[in-house]
Amino acid sequence: MSKEEFIIETQQLEKKYITDTVETTALAGVDLRIAKGEFVAVMGPSGCGKSTLLNILGLLDSPSGGTFRFLGQDISHASERQRAKIRKHNLGFVFQSFNLIDELTVEENIGLPLAYLGIPRAEADKRVKEAMERMGIAHRHAHFPQQLSGGQQQRVAIARATVSNPSLILADEPTGNLDSVHGREVMSLLSELNDAGTTVVMVTHSPSDAEYAHRIVNLFDGQIVTESLNARKHAAELL
Amino acid sequence: MLKNYWLTSWRSITRNRVHAAINIIGLAVGIASCILIYLFLQHELSYDQSFSDADRLYRVTSDMSLNGQAKKTALSHGPLAQTLTEEYPEVEQATFLLQMGQNSLRSKENALTVGISYADSNFFKVLPFPFVAGDPATALQNPFSVVVTEELARKYFGSADSALGKPLTYIASTFLVTGVISHPRPSHLQIDAVFPLHFDTNTEYMLNQWQMVGGYTYLKLFKAEQAGALTSKMPELYNRKAKPNQQMDGIAVTGYNIQPITDAYLDKDLEYPVGDVGNITYIYIFSVIAVFILLIATINYINLATARSAKRSKEVGLRKTIGASRSQLVKQFLAESFMLTLIAVVVALSIVELILPLFNSLTERSIDTIFILKPEVGLFILGIVIFVSFMAGGYPALYLSGYKPVEALKANATPNSGNARLRKALVVLQFTISLILIIGTVVVYNQMQHLKGVHLGFQKEHVISVKIPSIGWVRQKEKLALLKKEMLELPQIAYTSSAQQLPGEDALVSDFQVEINHKMVTRTINHIGVDYSYIDLMGIKLAEGRGYSREIRSDETHSYLINEAAAREFGWTDALDKRIKLPDDTLTSKVIGVVKDFNYKSLHSKIEPLIIRLEPHFGRLLTRVNTEADLSATLADMDKVWKKHFPAFPMDYQFLDESFQQQYRAEEKMLIIFTYFTILTIVIACLGLFGLSAYMAEQRTKEIGIRIVLGSSVSEIVLLLSRSFALLVLIAIVMAIPIAWFSMDKWLQNFAYRIEISWWVFVTTGLAAMTIALATVSYQAMKAALADPIRALRTE
Ligand SMILES: Nc1ncnc2c1ncn2[C@@H]1O[C@H](COP(=O)(O)OP(=O)(O)O)[C@@H](O)[C@H]1O
Ligand SMILES: [Mg+2]
Repeated sequence: MSKEEFIIETQQLEKKYITDTVETTALAGVDLRIAKGEFVAVMGPSGCGKSTLLNILGLLDSPSGGTFRFLGQDISHASERQRAKIRKHNLGFVFQSFNLIDELTVEENIGLPLAYLGIPRAEADKRVKEAMERMGIAHRHAHFPQQLSGGQQQRVAIARATVSNPSLILADEPTGNLDSVHGREVMSLLSELNDAGTTVVMVTHSPSDAEYAHRIVNLFDGQIVTESLNARKHAAELL
Repeated sequence: MLKNYWLTSWRSITRNRVHAAINIIGLAVGIASCILIYLFLQHELSYDQSFSDADRLYRVTSDMSLNGQAKKTALSHGPLAQTLTEEYPEVEQATFLLQMGQNSLRSKENALTVGISYADSNFFKVLPFPFVAGDPATALQNPFSVVVTEELARKYFGSADSALGKPLTYIASTFLVTGVISHPRPSHLQIDAVFPLHFDTNTEYMLNQWQMVGGYTYLKLFKAEQAGALTSKMPELYNRKAKPNQQMDGIAVTGYNIQPITDAYLDKDLEYPVGDVGNITYIYIFSVIAVFILLIATINYINLATARSAKRSKEVGLRKTIGASRSQLVKQFLAESFMLTLIAVVVALSIVELILPLFNSLTERSIDTIFILKPEVGLFILGIVIFVSFMAGGYPALYLSGYKPVEALKANATPNSGNARLRKALVVLQFTISLILIIGTVVVYNQMQHLKGVHLGFQKEHVISVKIPSIGWVRQKEKLALLKKEMLELPQIAYTSSAQQLPGEDALVSDFQVEINHKMVTRTINHIGVDYSYIDLMGIKLAEGRGYSREIRSDETHSYLINEAAAREFGWTDALDKRIKLPDDTLTSKVIGVVKDFNYKSLHSKIEPLIIRLEPHFGRLLTRVNTEADLSATLADMDKVWKKHFPAFPMDYQFLDESFQQQYRAEEKMLIIFTYFTILTIVIACLGLFGLSAYMAEQRTKEIGIRIVLGSSVSEIVLLLSRSFALLVLIAIVMAIPIAWFSMDKWLQNFAYRIEISWWVFVTTGLAAMTIALATVSYQAMKAALADPIRALRTE
């Protein structure tokens, strides 16, 4: 693989949290490369630094050490404004707790990233509609988040994460708050997006969710302990 | 995007109704106060602006010296107008006006008491009162003509048009209406009826002498820019004309000045003003209070917004994650404060509309709601909207938009402690302001009460004064004597008398020759003219000598009473038989008695030296009614006597205590407005506290639940939540006391009879504020403490 095809490259990525008295090392030298179009699952025990890693990869947080290249560009020291710009254009987020804005309807929640991108109204409406149809929530477009079930809320969140056609989707335990039926539904949606070319990085506790990924990265105490290729997935794709 | 901002703002406002209501009510009241005060200010500044060519109209003012004491007055010499017109190329025309006070003016059907003015025939050429009927150029040429206002014409004759040529009787002469004017208002000039000055040789004389000042000179420039040129010529005019022609001791003019007519109303430093004088100080005070109210409401917004930030931080984090830039978030929060302010403005305008009649009656102005449609008022409101939106929304917007997305998305974002400190400081500020205003109001109230109760040196209760209609001085004298005699026969009446000046009114001021160290020295002294029985009727005490007596013939011609202040001023240890002489008198008078000082003027000033002259024939009739008598029955009996002598005139009477009180009317009205505003500040501050304590309680729901489960009592919880607020109010009290004390003590120095601010004022206002604040907070604390603890614990 040539270097240009990595969407993410980190070297000795470190993150330390310094609170009043204690210093916590959440990431202790992570080397990770993720190729375009890959589906990576990050697993590990609670508190091992999964969310921290995902937040840094998502440019929501900055590392305390090491280098981080996004699409070949070193952004370890990028300003908040630059990072906001990259987020807006390239990234979509899905969270365990859905994190929809309670004051906005389904439609408005999904349309928000387009609004921030300054996409014209008509075009935005069209794309929101497509995204809702893809996620099977078009009939709920005027509802507010609290009026939806967990599964529906997560589909709205995925619709919102994908509506701007990001090149990378970051999902932090997207099925954590869902029952198994809805969980599988969400996983197949993510899988479909990946098939369509979007890179997906997902944190999960569930081995069955991890089955959807090409590669599984195991974290422990802020370091990558094992990386394994998902043979079944690769085999399926080769067919 | 814009629509998104509006939508989000609207939803955020409607989702948090209590929060929004607190903000809207506070801001609306603050904005309404500002609009009202602004309208008031506009009104006060608009005096005489509606005269056409107002920028070319000026008034001559005089610097005067009274016993060597410098004074500025609105008065000037009679011949000045003609001199200015003839000798000064800048002056197009000048005129001389005499204000003769209130008097009765009769048509065949109607007798009304109206303001009487005398003016030379140029009056309407200088002051362009619009003529509804008649010709301004000739209206005052014929000596027996009169020009009246439209209102008067309507009262006398039904309409302005039918008035022309109709007769009106004033004193004993008949005048024909030659003009009907409309009065451009507001104006410092109070004109009802204008007579030609030359109908009366006594007043015509004023036009030819430089000794006395008694009227007002107005002039119209050819060009407004010439004011400077004319001003620089005034010293020369004074030196050439006035200075050589007047005696320079006692009262004398020491210089002239000119003043734009539009400044006349607000110049409260000039003595002897023409008509109404405004007091810009009140406007300043009210402006400051209005801004305070707005500030307190703005603080509420900031405090509630930042207190709620824990809740909103999640939304901020989310939006940032999705790609919102900080500036987009700032815009969104500003949109919210802007929308809220707009709603508040709409509410404020309705409040203004509702309250304007009350405000008008309190301020005795006639501000029209139409004012709101004026472009400058619109601009003012726009300015307020922008200012308040940024003041209120700016800090929360910057603060909230600064949240880091990762931290904000954490389930329990902890409220920033620096932020809490700011909130506390702002609450202290709010309460400090409120407390200063409350203490101020209490002090003003106490001072007013003190003035009412101060020992006046005379008995103002149960004294009735009655005006004698002008029917010519011979008959007036006759009737006054008869009325005094016949009314005294009524069983309820203890004394009858008469006086030319009553307590609370201005006394006359003249130059007297006074014996000091065996020499006659000129002194300018206040004097009043009263009847024999005045001292007894008023209950004024004698310190030395005796009062006037009918039995002693010399009293009629050469005796004076003085007050103790005069004796002190002249250094007389034994005042009796000391000599006093008016320059015009042929005989030198002797002091026959000294009365104890009584307040013959306003209580703003210390009692000045006074000469009490005997003047039994003129002035107002006075009666003292027995304390146990029924006042209305007495008035009815007096009216019967009155009707015998003046069947055509209603008895125009006043109670002395009421008329004396009139001089404090402006202050009392201002006190009422002051009180309203003060109540508003504390109410709005408490509204903020109410909202804030609601958030505090909400934030600590879980803690409260646990405490209750562990056996804490409700009162312990209330105490727990109230304690921190109590401390804030306490700090505010400590801060407010010295500021309030210092500024109110300064205000009290304006009064000759003042109270000392006692410690209990601070204790009671402090306690009251603390009680109100704690009651507000306790409500929320009670609510939290009484909530089901199990539910509180389950909310996570
Ligand atoms: N804002 C923070 N301040 C201090 N410590 C933190 C913060 N966020 C995470 N940590 C600590 O960093 C470590 C990794 O946390 P996290 O990445 O959330 O773990 P995971 O998502 O794998 O459960 C934990 O020990 C956690 O306590
Ligand atoms: Mg996690």
